[in-house]
Amino acid sequence: MSNSEYLEIPIGPQHPALHEPLLFRVKVEGERIVQITPSTGYNHRGIEKLCENNTFLKDVFLAGRVCGICNVVHTTCYSEGVEKVGNIEVPSRAKYLRTLLNELERIHSHMLALAVLGELIGFHTLFMLMMRDRELVLALKEMVAGNRVQADYVMPGGVRRDLTPEKLDRVKKSLDRIEERMKYYAKIFEKDSIVNSRLRRVGVLEKAEVSTYGFVGPIARGSGVKTDVRYEDPYAAYGEIPFSVITRDEGDSWARTMVRVGETFEAINMVRYVADHLPEGPFGPKTMIRKVQAGEAISRVEAQRGQLIYYIVSKGGDKPYRLKIRTPSFNNILSSGVLFKDANIADLPAILASLDPCISCMERMLIIEKDGHVESKSVYDLVR
Amino acid sequence: MLELITETLRNLFKKSATYKFPLEDRPASPDYRGKQVVDIQKCIGCRLCAFDCPAYAIEMVPNPSGKPKEYPVVDFGKCVFCYQCVRVCPVNAYVTSGTYRLAAFDKEKLINDVLKTSVSDSSEEGG
Repeated sequence: MSNSEYLEIPIGPQHPALHEPLLFRVKVEGERIVQITPSTGYNHRGIEKLCENNTFLKDVFLAGRVCGICNVVHTTCYSEGVEKVGNIEVPSRAKYLRTLLNELERIHSHMLALAVLGELIGFHTLFMLMMRDRELVLALKEMVAGNRVQADYVMPGGVRRDLTPEKLDRVKKSLDRIEERMKYYAKIFEKDSIVNSRLRRVGVLEKAEVSTYGFVGPIARGSGVKTDVRYEDPYAAYGEIPFSVITRDEGDSWARTMVRVGETFEAINMVRYVADHLPEGPFGPKTMIRKVQAGEAISRVEAQRGQLIYYIVSKGGDKPYRLKIRTPSFNNILSSGVLFKDANIADLPAILASLDPCISCMERMLIIEKDGHVESKSVYDLVR
Repeated sequence: MLELITETLRNLFKKSATYKFPLEDRPASPDYRGKQVVDIQKCIGCRLCAFDCPAYAIEMVPNPSGKPKEYPVVDFGKCVFCYQCVRVCPVNAYVTSGTYRLAAFDKEKLINDVLKTSVSDSSEEGG
């Protein structure tokens, strides 16, 4: 059968299972998926270019708006990059507070991913219950940073708010409740027959394929690859906080889910450790950092979805010369064709949700101008 | 499976997890970044907030009374509530609040000119 004889079904771009714009061109033979091509570009906003036109101080807020659910990791990565370029010292209290908010964000992001996965496999009760309990984490984020989702908490040189001992007590008290609820959900994900029959042996990714395609984050860890920036290249206060990297060997959708469940518990313990060991001292720079000396730096952090990289070039002055963002979802989703191959078409939402894609992180455009000849490249030329 | 059924049954006797929003307000946390209004008595017209606003939502307009010479007018249609203006203000002229019901039928109503609208007026409208 030649390639053109397969039936091609478009899934998306309006809400392909998840509530974000992404188009999947799916070639099927009966119920079996033969080939799948994700197509992005519905959400492109030109943030990298916009960052070049704004000052270093304003770019903190732009970086946080690349993606709503990972705004703290984006601002952390940006701020660490600016600090590397400008040789700026960060007080240790600020480093701990950054870690605290990063881990709070990891808890609520993983809870959302797990809840949406529940919804997509037809388990609406689980979705409702998890979203209700996620409010506890969002309330903590609101208390620490000032907003439930859009924190705007990290800035070059430190953080923007301090934490009082009373608030730390409330964090610890709330974490006990969150942990209790997460233990309940962990049991459901491990034992429930619906979850197991929909996720086990679905969308299997072999360990060897992880490095071939360059998968990162919980997807790589779900296939038994121990990779985590917090562990390999500690930033913020991660070098001083004990934690373990969760890995699973199965490589299927269920393994990726269980990696997220395990990471949520690790994150809860890390927040507890920070709350107990928060050092005294200043939490931010004395004056706002407006100008950064000339230089360039790469900063990388572990976002909830994998390794996030910022590349910042400064030529001196108050604006960056170039700012390049490499997000984890970009790698994970554009290379995900290998996971969907030979799967049943009804399993597509389950596999997609187990990848936890962040569509607004994935938008790219590449235009190359050479000798007056303008050439635009496909996103697939950027994938490894 | 049994555990889920007991959980569901238990929820029948619990307080509702949601708010009946337009009828019942969700209380904002005291740390929430809501609507911020400039106190013109304190403002010195230094332009720092307008200079630093990442959303370009603050415009300095001349003050008819002359003191301060200029004062900031915040366009809440553009504001991203990052509170950079509150942070950079050298005289702490911004009064912060937890007001989050800012919707209006008219775009003009989102522009908060402190000389034209009093604080209580602007927080009542919308919803």
